[in-house]
Order: sequence, then C-alpha cells, then structure tokens
Amino acid sequence: MSNQEIPSSLRNLLADVLELSPDQVTPDLNADGVATWDSFRHLQLILSLEEEYGVQFDPQRIPELTSVSLLQAELEKKGAAL
Amino acid sequence: MQSDSERQDLRRCVKDAVSNQDADAAVRYARRLISTSNKSADVMFCASAFAGIADCIKNQLGAKGLRTYVVRSVTVEPIVPFLAAEGVLSNYVLDLQLGGYGSYADELLNAQSALVDFKPDLVLVLLDLEEIAGRMPDLCADGIGAKVEEEIEECVSRTAQLLRSFRSRNSARLLFQGLVVPDRTSLGDVGNANLAHSLPNAVLQLNQRLAAICRTVSDCVFFDADHLAARYGRARWRDARMFLASRLPVSAEFFSAYSRGLVGSFSAMFRAPRKVLCTDLDNTLWGGVLGEDGADGIAAGSAFPGICYLDYQRYLKQLSSRGVLLAIVSKNNEADVRDAFKTRSADFALRLEDFVACKIGWNEKSESIRELAQELSLGLDSFVFVDDSPVECEGILQQLPEVAVVQAPIDEPWKLVEILSEQPFFDAVQFTEDDVNRLNEYKAQAQRAELAGSAGSRDEFLASLEIVCTFQSALQAPLSRAVQLLAKTNQFNLTTRRRSTAEVERFAAEGQAVVVRVRDRFGDAGVVGLALAQNRGDACIIDSFLLSCRVIGRGIETALLAYVGEQAQRTGARRLVGEFITTKKNTPCANFYPDHGFVKCAAMGTDDSASVFYENDLTASVPVSPKWITLEGNDSNEQSRNTVFTA
Repeated sequence: MSNQEIPSSLRNLLADVLELSPDQVTPDLNADGVATWDSFRHLQLILSLEEEYGVQFDPQRIPELTSVSLLQAELEKKGAAL
Repeated sequence: MQSDSERQDLRRCVKDAVSNQDADAAVRYARRLISTSNKSADVMFCASAFAGIADCIKNQLGAKGLRTYVVRSVTVEPIVPFLAAEGVLSNYVLDLQLGGYGSYADELLNAQSALVDFKPDLVLVLLDLEEIAGRMPDLCADGIGAKVEEEIEECVSRTAQLLRSFRSRNSARLLFQGLVVPDRTSLGDVGNANLAHSLPNAVLQLNQRLAAICRTVSDCVFFDADHLAARYGRARWRDARMFLASRLPVSAEFFSAYSRGLVGSFSAMFRAPRKVLCTDLDNTLWGGVLGEDGADGIAAGSAFPGICYLDYQRYLKQLSSRGVLLAIVSKNNEADVRDAFKTRSADFALRLEDFVACKIGWNEKSESIRELAQELSLGLDSFVFVDDSPVECEGILQQLPEVAVVQAPIDEPWKLVEILSEQPFFDAVQFTEDDVNRLNEYKAQAQRAELAGSAGSRDEFLASLEIVCTFQSALQAPLSRAVQLLAKTNQFNLTTRRRSTAEVERFAAEGQAVVVRVRDRFGDAGVVGLALAQNRGDACIIDSFLLSCRVIGRGIETALLAYVGEQAQRTGARRLVGEFITTKKNTPCANFYPDHGFVKCAAMGTDDSASVFYENDLTASVPVSPKWITLEGNDSNEQSRNTVFTA
C-alpha cells in the first residue's frame, strides 16, 4: 500500500503524536507495531483527531480503532473533511 | 490563526534549531508556533523537539531542571506533553513521573514509595472530588445537608494529615490542586445558588479550607483549578464523555491553559517575583502627549477615556502597596511632568512620591533602566517595562533581554490592566513585612547615597549610618523571609543553594540557621542576611551564606561571619570552613573568604564539584565584626563589646 492513500494532514498528525516521521505512517501501521502507540498515546491520538477534524468518536469504538486504516475509515464515516 | 505555510515554516525552524542544538532559537520559534497555532499536534511536536535538546535548554538558557512527581487519581497522560512544553516556555525542564491511579495516599504517606525513590524537586497533587470528598454529592443532594459541615471537616483534616505527614519526611515543593466546582447538579441553578449546602456551595467552602491548609504547610502552593475553569467556562472545562470513559479531568481544548496554570502556580515557589515596574507616561500613565496637549489636555480622571489610565494608575498603586517599586522612565521635560502631577492630582491615583525614581529626560530608555538597576542594586531581571511605543519596547527587548516588556495598547487603553495582570511577573506565594517596607528602604538608600557624598572617609560614613545588626534564629524571624532570601539572592550568595523551609528547619535543629536584621538611622531594612552551617567533626561548615544586595558593602557580611564563627567556637568547632560556588551573578562575593583571612583547603565532600573550600583556624583567630556596627541578638549581650559609634 502506498502513502498516497493517507491524506497529508492525517499523516502529519499521526506522525506528530506517535513521534514518527511522516513516511513511517502507512495504512497498515497499527498499535502493535509501534512502540510509542500505547493506550495513553491512543487516547492522545483520538483527542487530536477530534480537534483537527471537529468530530467526536464513540467511547465504545475508541479502543477498537488501533490502526491507521481503521482510524481513517472511522473519520470518513463521521464525515470528516480529510 | 496563521496560515498553514507559516505554520510549516515555524515547524521547520524549530526542527533546524533542534538539529543545530540551538536552544534559544528552538524555544523562540516554538513559542511563536504554540501561541499562534491552536493545534495540539503542534504542542506535541514541540514537546518532543524539546525533549531531544533538554540538556541544551538547561545549559544554554539556564532552564531549571525539576524532577516532578505527579500524584493523581485521574488520567493525565495526554496532558503530559502540554505540561512539558509549557514548562520549557517558562524556562523549566520537567522530568515528569506519574504515580499510580489508586496509590496517591500510599505515595504521600509511605516512607518507601515510588515517589520517595524518585527524589522529586516538586510534587503535583492532582486529585478529584471523588478522592477528596467522594460522599459530598450525595450528602448535598437535598441542599439541607445536615452532615455536610461534618464531612467538610473530615475532608480537610484528612487532606491536612496527608500533606503534613508528607512534609514531615520530604522537602520537595508541593502543589495541591483545588476542586473544580460542579457546574450542574440535581438541585438546579436556583437551588445551587440559594441552598447553603448545595454541592457548589459545599465545594467552594471546601476549597477555601483546603487553601488555608496549604498555607500552613511549608513550600506548598494551592492551585485554584476552579478559578481557571471558571475563566474558560465550567460547563466546557470537563468533557463528560471523556471523563466517564477515560477519567480525563479536563477537556482537550484546555490542556494548554491548564498546563500554563499549573506551571505559573508552582513557578512562584522556585522563582523570585520581579521587583520594579518602569512605566512610560504619555499614552501609558495618561492619555495623550504631555508636550503637545499640555497638563490640561492629557486624559486622566474619572471620565472615559481618562478612567482607563486612572485604572492603570490604581493598579500600579496596588502593586506598590505590596512592595513592587514603581519608576518613571519617560522622554519628557521634567518640569512639565512635575507640573502635570501637581495640577492634575485630582485626576491621578499616583503621586510623584509613589515612585522610587524618575528617569525623565531624553536619554535612551535602556540607559535609564541600566542606571536604575545600578542605583537600586537590583538585577535587570527584576525589571518590568511598560510603554506604548513599539519602537521603545523593541529597543528594550534587544538591548536588555532580561527585562520583561509589556506594550500598552494605545488604541485600547482599557486593556492595559488586563494584559499586565495576566503576566506572572509579580506572582508570589506569600508576602512578608519586608516586601511591604521595601519602598521606604529604597528611598532610604537614596538618602544614604546622598550622605556618602558628604561624609569624609568610608569608616566615618559607615559610622554615621548608626547600623545595628540583630541576629536571630531563622525560626524566630519569619521563616518565610529566610526562605525567600535563599530563593532570590543572587549577587552576594556564596553557594546559591535554594534551600527549602524544611531544610532551613533542619539546619536550625542540627546546626546554625541565623538571620541578620539590620536597621540604621534612615530606616529598618528588615531581615537581609542568612547563614546556614553545620558542624562535622572539628569543623563548622558554612552551607549557605548570603546577604541582600541592598546592604552589601557596609560590613554587615563581616558581622554575620563573625557571629557564625563565635557560635561555631561555642559548639566546640576548631575550624570554620566556608564554601564558594561560582555562578554568573555572584562575582561580588568571590573573594569573601580570602578577604577575611581564610585559606583554601581540601574539599569537604559535597556533591558539588564546582565548590571551592576555605578554612579559618578558630583556635588562632575569629572573624571580628566591624567597629561601626552595633550588635544585638539571641546571645549577643556578651558580644556587644563593640561600642555604639555615633558620628
């Protein structure tokens, strides 16, 4: 999968929060594969995404959204302008 | 909000500065990025950039490293990067460690907890209503709350015990967070307002009691989280969804404001407040330009827009009454200014006598401030400069970067007081009598300078001052003053160790903790010097020795050393050992020990490799107090062999 599929605003935000370089952010990147992506960083990520795209995630869905593609899909479902 | 390209530019600048290890540039660009961007991703970007150059920030910017332990019952992890970033912007490098959710009591009370092992400089206690007063919501449900008062007492005494017991074993500075008053309850707004024991009323009362407890614990500050929440809106402060799902106490949009509040609050325990406010006159202290509009034409007094300036004057007057020195720095004709203060006095809140000094003329303002610093024996980092001219403000920023600059908004004069009060310049946890007397003391200093010009020899001059030194235990004098001196004395401070209240108490119990109070014919300078010493073997080692810069050069330092020497001798010491640690600011006292006949000696085993040690053989000689100083004190009657010397 190529990086082009991830909008740059999303990729940069993920990079900032997970302390990665933007090219490391790929759609199949997930919490198990990133040392910094623990449950607190995950919460941090969710909060930053909510702020950036003006959406609110359902607390019950939040723990399940542990990969880049899942997050992107959920954002699209919420109608976020990616 | 800035454009995205500007934002990317700033991020690139931060990144470049980090790879060049240029802490100053990194912090400068980061400050701009954070202040113009509303994005938390940018704050996290800055926090991780800062983390990569933490040592550079400490070394190049003199930022204070603080090992900070967070005792908490809520989720603060997402707030940590914000706290770290705000810390750096206020020149602190926080090494943060979070405690467990449920273990706050154990961490504070257990002598072997993770907190104790961490050896913190600072402990933040961030508990929620549930932990501090968990039963309160139910007890307050009917608003009658027969048991509410009882519950408040119990909460207060439990918290007091927690903090005091911690303090008895640990000297780390403490920040205790107050409760946020719940916005809505089942009683509704009317019930909450009118029933004495509604939950909001009970929590307000509890907060006041908790703050009072904090005042009785040394080195402890109460952080009024409710005040902050109310400023931004209690209804929005907490996001119920995130609190209930993840115990996140503050809504994400306020992470920065919350962190800034925390940093500002603990900062007052580590940093001395600024001491002097220099104000411009035209379009700052009054509206208009005196040279053009004349004394009758400038805006001041109770009608708008004059009242904006009157408000500013009143604010300055309030600062002055708690010890902040006011000075005029203005490009004007002095005679015109005097005339304006006379003819418009009914419209002014300030008199010329309220100012410790006036620099009115056509000199560069940076030059005037430099002169002022010299005349008052204060560092430039004690100054705040207020002026409406962007050119003057920029000039001071560039030439005197230590001075804090506030630009008065010329088109919106009603905002000046607000802008000024947002700044933490003058924040202090406590005020002592000496702060309040400062104005008179500095005025006396000016008179002394005048006398120095007329007296003959130095000794004659000093004798004519009729100096009286009183020595007291630091525990007898207001202890807060001793700790304040330790915190803010830079120039005449031989080791610059910022000892805490608890540490001073330890020296008092196990060795010497002496303060010197000084008065002369012009006034009472209050407690101006301090020495901490402890015997080890046959040596009495002076851990801290300092004197307020306003009394340097009058022999008071010698009198204090003589006192410490005599006490040391009395407790059986055969050697008096002094330690000197050089800093950027303490060169005035670099030769203090050699000048008093001490000779260099071997290190006495402290962890400071920068220390130089000097010793004086007490069996051969004891430092002697200057003859022009009269001594008083605890056991000083036998010491007052020095006669009163009058001119």
